[in-house]
Amino acid sequence: MSTTFLPCGDYHQTYAEDHAWFQTKFIKGKMIALFLVLFVFIPMFAGDYWISVFNMVGYTILGALGVQLLIGYCGQLTLGHGAFIAVGAYTSTLLILEFPWPEFMINLGLAYPVSIFIAGIMAGLFSVLFGLPSARVKGFYLILTTMAAQFILVDFVITQYVSQIGGRGQAFSLPPGTMKIGPWVIDNNYKVYFFMLILVILSCIIIANLVRTRVGRAWVAIRDNDISAEVMGINVIKYKLLAFFVAGFIGGITGSFWISNLAAISPEHFPWFLSLWLVGVILIGGVGSIHGAIFGSLFMVVIMEVLQLAIIPMADTYPKLLMDFLFIKEATFGLAICGFIIFEPNGMAYRWWQIKNYFNLWPFSY
Amino acid sequence: MVSDTNKLKEQTEEEILLELRDVEMYFGKVCALTGVNLKIRKGEIHSVIGPNGAGKTVMMNIINGLYRPQKGDIFFKGKRINRIRPYQRAKMGMARTFQKVEVFGGMTVLDNIRLGRHTHYTSGIFSGSVYAGKTRREEIKHRTFIEEEIIDLLEIESIRDHPVGMLPYGLQKRVELGRALALEPDLLILDEPLAGLNLEEVEDMARFILDVNEEKRWKVTCLLVEHDMGVVMDLSDHVFVLNFGNTIIDGTPKEVQDNPEVIKAYLGEEDLYATRR
Repeated sequence: MSTTFLPCGDYHQTYAEDHAWFQTKFIKGKMIALFLVLFVFIPMFAGDYWISVFNMVGYTILGALGVQLLIGYCGQLTLGHGAFIAVGAYTSTLLILEFPWPEFMINLGLAYPVSIFIAGIMAGLFSVLFGLPSARVKGFYLILTTMAAQFILVDFVITQYVSQIGGRGQAFSLPPGTMKIGPWVIDNNYKVYFFMLILVILSCIIIANLVRTRVGRAWVAIRDNDISAEVMGINVIKYKLLAFFVAGFIGGITGSFWISNLAAISPEHFPWFLSLWLVGVILIGGVGSIHGAIFGSLFMVVIMEVLQLAIIPMADTYPKLLMDFLFIKEATFGLAICGFIIFEPNGMAYRWWQIKNYFNLWPFSY
Repeated sequence: MVSDTNKLKEQTEEEILLELRDVEMYFGKVCALTGVNLKIRKGEIHSVIGPNGAGKTVMMNIINGLYRPQKGDIFFKGKRINRIRPYQRAKMGMARTFQKVEVFGGMTVLDNIRLGRHTHYTSGIFSGSVYAGKTRREEIKHRTFIEEEIIDLLEIESIRDHPVGMLPYGLQKRVELGRALALEPDLLILDEPLAGLNLEEVEDMARFILDVNEEKRWKVTCLLVEHDMGVVMDLSDHVFVLNFGNTIIDGTPKEVQDNPEVIKAYLGEEDLYATRR
């Protein structure tokens, strides 16, 4: 996808203008409007239920961004991202519950923020560990090695050993008041929503900046042609592992964020289906674009909710629909992916780009 | 004036940029190169010719580091580089273009050329993720270089924001040359830069090669693999003829044209200047 065309008459006179984030007044206004909607109107008018749906969207965006970075930007196919989200969630939980924090850190509310950061690092390191085969294999073979991450980390290590720490049984419950950032206690959906917004915006900015500078260009080059990337002076293995680390780091932060929304965490929150779901999300949204992760998440989560709302009134006459809702959900997921691959393989982000250009170039679209 | 250029020639003749010494390369039992010796002096255009399957591209891959020869030594700037990886060779000042274009199809022309300057950029992951200070200055500095030196030279201003994968073949070749030049290399390996181009594009490309070789700004040493005899004989200072892994001759274009073995092996009975023109 090339850069968006500017409307006729808008042009740049310096390179700095050409590299700027928001290049025209219209785009600036549009972004301010978007932020107003996100930070003011949605929390004002959406009810508790829809806020929780948006939280789910945010969680999916954060997870999908990591997958997008690996698959969309670096070309390293992965089907084990859920494992790194789980590593992040468990690292953070264990740090909060078991680590002997000094009294003042708990009082100042530093335990959770510090644990988020450490969770990111831990998940990043595990991601690098399971990304090591990428030095030798690519494509389908890499899918299998990353899937191993899911089965080894979640199904074996976390379920069998990590969950047993402290003798709590399968699930770790987080007492109210432990999710505390400074004086700010995250105890309802609205607070989770704001927390999610900040994290999503930060990750989007970081990834968008990375892919337009040295490191990100190297990733895209490896995706497009790894041999000529190496010939042009890129240490391919180093940059692949760096991509795995950054993706894992974002995954860890995602998991660590998600525990603020869960009363208790257990391995069932991170099934292999989560990894597959995230890949489906970026396929629908569009591979190789940040818009793709956002649109895909919005589409998938909102479609599922709408589906649920549509089924509830029918449940009286067809009770089986509600009983088998899980299967209907999975069938819809498969259908949506098939539909997108057949009718719009470039995803929703490409359509968005086309629409923007249509208006920018109107009436001389050639 | 004449004496000046002669003097310059004498000086450059002493400086050897790249040397292959008794290089042998086997794929299983197939011998791709046997005892190849090659010396490339600074500032010259050195061509390699030979029939299809002669081992020209294998030779380029060996120089570039994609293959490692079983026997022999490679010296670049006086340093033995047998065990040095391709990306480290790029840092030492070696760039190449490929026979089949190997551009980054999903990136724009500008990004392709920016990527060619990868070794000149210094910003890391932290500074890059906030895009402030050092990274911002660096991006503008290199953008200025790319626009003024490369895009202007190759005349690709109008397509700088297009994804390379959607450009016609001739322009892709040009972008690939631009990407290699962005590295500011000392040695530029051009693997069939004229293959598949029409007459006009061939003339343009030959002009660009001469430009980067002769202009004071660039002074790039070129190693050229090409089938178009007219162009090879006109551009090159030296021509190296390869036939199924064996060296036939390494000499000036005049010597090569007069060598009976070359005519037998490669050029056939036809006129040496049989070219597209």
